[in-house]
Amino acid sequence: MIQAYFIHLLILIGIYIILAISLQLSLGFTGLLNIGHIAFFAIGAYTAALLTLNGVPFIIAFLLAGIFATISGFLLSIPTRKLKGDYLALATIAFTFVVYAIALNWTKLTRGPLGLPGIPRPSLFGISFSSNFSFFILTLIIVLITYLIIKKITISPFGKVLEAIRDDELAIKVLGKNTFKMKSYALAISAFFAGIAGSLYAHYINYIDPSSFTLMQLIPILVIVIVGGLASLRGTIIATIVLILLPEALRFIGMPSAILGPMRQIIYALILILILIYKPKGFYGKVELE
Amino acid sequence: MVFIQLLINSLIAGAIYALVASGFSLIYATSKFIHFAHGATIAFSAYMLYFFFSMIGLNFGFSVILAIIFAALLGLLMNIIVFKQLRKRKASGIILLIASFALMILLESLILLFFGADVKTIGYIKVAKGLEFLGGIITPLQIFIVVCSFVLLGLLFLFMKKTKIGKAMRAVSDNKDVAEIVGISSERIYNWAFIIGSAIAGIGGILISLEQNLSPTMGTGLMIKGFTGAIIGGIGSVPGAILGSFLLGLVENFGIWYLPSGYKDAIAFVLLFLFLLFKPNGILGIKKGGDK
Repeated sequence: MIQAYFIHLLILIGIYIILAISLQLSLGFTGLLNIGHIAFFAIGAYTAALLTLNGVPFIIAFLLAGIFATISGFLLSIPTRKLKGDYLALATIAFTFVVYAIALNWTKLTRGPLGLPGIPRPSLFGISFSSNFSFFILTLIIVLITYLIIKKITISPFGKVLEAIRDDELAIKVLGKNTFKMKSYALAISAFFAGIAGSLYAHYINYIDPSSFTLMQLIPILVIVIVGGLASLRGTIIATIVLILLPEALRFIGMPSAILGPMRQIIYALILILILIYKPKGFYGKVELE
Repeated sequence: MVFIQLLINSLIAGAIYALVASGFSLIYATSKFIHFAHGATIAFSAYMLYFFFSMIGLNFGFSVILAIIFAALLGLLMNIIVFKQLRKRKASGIILLIASFALMILLESLILLFFGADVKTIGYIKVAKGLEFLGGIITPLQIFIVVCSFVLLGLLFLFMKKTKIGKAMRAVSDNKDVAEIVGISSERIYNWAFIIGSAIAGIGGILISLEQNLSPTMGTGLMIKGFTGAIIGGIGSVPGAILGSFLLGLVENFGIWYLPSGYKDAIAFVLLFLFLLFKPNGILGIKKGGDK
């Protein structure tokens, strides 16, 4: 019992790590105020769910989930490439709401508020990941791959340019770099990993509906990124583990689950406000948002 | 007459959006950041009305006044406890935006915790039969909402033009440093902007609660409509916000002539998107932060 619960938490932590470190790439490293990360997560989840429900093998659906999210990230970045700071935040929020409205209203495809039940657990090369433990192993492998790729990007020359764009975009333009293109790539790659996180989530929970993809769901990811510290992958992973486990303590003091949901959000919101006031760079961050 | 009916619906929607947008714009114009929690203020005042009127059983008029005062106080407290501290250490507008987003989630979750998720209604004004008006239908309550909104917007306009605080607000929004040099305390002006902006949002929340059910997240959508209105009209300009809000009401209501009504919200966000891309200064073409 305790063991099953523990594995459940580990899987959630894995999914959140992918979401948070991919948000780090666009928000932390490139300085794009991307508040639409949940929309890419939703696109990935719906793509994976709809494809596998129609008999497409997991691995293809999984990759397509990432690719669809990438394409939408790239398309979003083209019109918004000139927007700065709070204007970009508004545009990405509008994007989140549009994706949500489509998931809710395109009932022929998504079944709207009824959601999509019966999303199968994945199987790969004849190995089935139907038990939670095997699903955890799969999640762990994908987390590791994600971490290695994003780590590689951030220490590459391309990653250094992204950080330079965050710190002084004009200077990078003067050096002759096409910053719009760089920012587009950053958002598209970031969206890819949000998309595959969405795929994992859909296969793990076996059911998705539009309510899993509202602006509210952004708060845990945003808290993780800011508490961990911008542009710090190590900080992000530690923050994910601590922050996902923290509200679980409430469960052990016997809090009913109806209260647990709002309490979790309250804790996250309070932590976010306090960290912004007292420790704006987070625990491992080197920079502050400007 | 579908056309007249849609026009009436646009007017009602526009009147509500204008209240949200003008309060939001007032705060944006002075303190220069996007105050997300403005939406939660709307929900908060509606629930305060529910608490005083439906739960405690106070007199309706008294409950309304209390709800507005509490909304204004909430705005002031948010500014003093959170935003002032952030400004003290020279945090950027983006940090204030994220803090405000966190405040929105905090308030909505608190409302959910105390009042629960089930549907709440104030039910003070019974649903009346609609009146015929040029072939369209409008209820007395809706007429009241529109009139209320116009009166308030008129008062706000006079306040900004004639009173000392209103003028000081415009000075701060124009150029904070110069305003400080001539002896205007910008922190005091921020407090006033939050008090007045939140009170207007509170009134908006009360008007909506008379017509619709309450839910903890009722303000989020409205706030986004409000700032869509503000951006369409020219952000930071109160008259622009009002103009933009009525335009948004029109586009939204006539848009569902062609699209299923579930896409009403999406229409607003697409419009926001288009304006951000092609005309970020809005129709009135006011430079970001200017208020003329």
